[in-house]
Amino acid sequence: MLLSATVCHARSVPPLEGLEALRKGFGGISDFTAEISQEKRLSLMKRTMVMTGTVRFRKPDLFYMELNPPFSSRMLLRDSVIEQAGPGGGERNRIMLPPEQGLKRWIAKLADPVTSLPEGVGMHADLSGGLYTLTITPAGKGQVKALTISFLEDGTIRRLVISEQNGDRSVMTFKKLRRNVGLVDKDFRLE
Amino acid sequence: MTSFFRSLILLVPFLLLTACATLPRPGIDYQPGAAVETFSSAVSVSVQTSDRGMSGSGFMVYRRPDRLHLVILSPFGTTLMEAFALGDRITLVYPSRSTAYSGPVSELPVNGGLQGWSMMRWVMDVDLPGSGMLNGTVERKDSRGNPEKVTFENGLVTAKVSAAGDQVYYSGYTVVNGVPLASVIDMRTARNEQIRLVLSEPEVNTPLDDAALLPGLAGLTVLPLSAIQGM
Repeated sequence: MLLSATVCHARSVPPLEGLEALRKGFGGISDFTAEISQEKRLSLMKRTMVMTGTVRFRKPDLFYMELNPPFSSRMLLRDSVIEQAGPGGGERNRIMLPPEQGLKRWIAKLADPVTSLPEGVGMHADLSGGLYTLTITPAGKGQVKALTISFLEDGTIRRLVISEQNGDRSVMTFKKLRRNVGLVDKDFRLE
Repeated sequence: MTSFFRSLILLVPFLLLTACATLPRPGIDYQPGAAVETFSSAVSVSVQTSDRGMSGSGFMVYRRPDRLHLVILSPFGTTLMEAFALGDRITLVYPSRSTAYSGPVSELPVNGGLQGWSMMRWVMDVDLPGSGMLNGTVERKDSRGNPEKVTFENGLVTAKVSAAGDQVYYSGYTVVNGVPLASVIDMRTARNEQIRLVLSEPEVNTPLDDAALLPGLAGLTVLPLSAIQGM
């Protein structure tokens, strides 16, 4: 009886409702930190890579990720510019994303209520025990086959799954997520 | 970048050759007759040249004698690039562009990386464990007749320096299934370009599907290696 009482079955909700829940929940977050576990399952190999680390995010356009050994690396995304530093910090890699892929642009989209689904993508939403799961499937044959994000109503992200056309799958699980902790500029430096 | 991946692909067989020792050596227990037939490992790579650096994590698998599949991941875990090598032929796959480049390694754009190519051939050209000295440094001619200085420890090559100033260091030897394996390789060219390769959780001689070594090119635009630009 206890088991049956605690099991929550996912029910489908309108995709628009799921998207709006994400927007509203995220609207209440100015920054967050979290521990992450990233699993990469390679379809053609019978092994899974597991990486752990921490992430920090601050609106409107800063995202920092640090991976623990043996995959030590640090990455800073500042709007559309990615900077990476390897172990020891000696090497730097700088990647410029197209402006339309910049973080600021996407965060800005969250300012307005969602009234219609984006064109060119499929969308599915579930709700289970307060946990929304939103699956986005871009049209066409691009690299990403599906993007699935699981989050609570308050915007707390639990899991991010990226499925690729080649069958590979990357799962990023967020733990100990702390919202609105007052992150400052020095929290987003690679030095 | 292409020279880097070319270097890496050439380097891996060397890593495996060092695992072919058949004699017990102080500090490391070899399994007599042990040889690498297949190999898989998570890998961390970093490259530093005079004007740029890059680092990343990934995965690679190898099958004797000359088949390799290397995956480089983006920070978010998606596949950034894959390299498949079979003998002298290489295929580079860039999923985000739905494009693959394929052809003989000799057709890779050099872009100043010719020296690196020469170094990689030299890096691969080493004594098998047990066939050289046990401990010490020897000055000699390499297989091409060029002077080199080679350092051995416990019967395993730990460093080489060429007359031109290229250097390579092999460290972090570990025994996997009775086979010695250099898990850290540091290379420095005479032009001060540095490449570091660190293996993590390697598995040796475990079953490997053929599919893990063949590029899946369905739906991709396949171009010759000479078409690579701006890597």
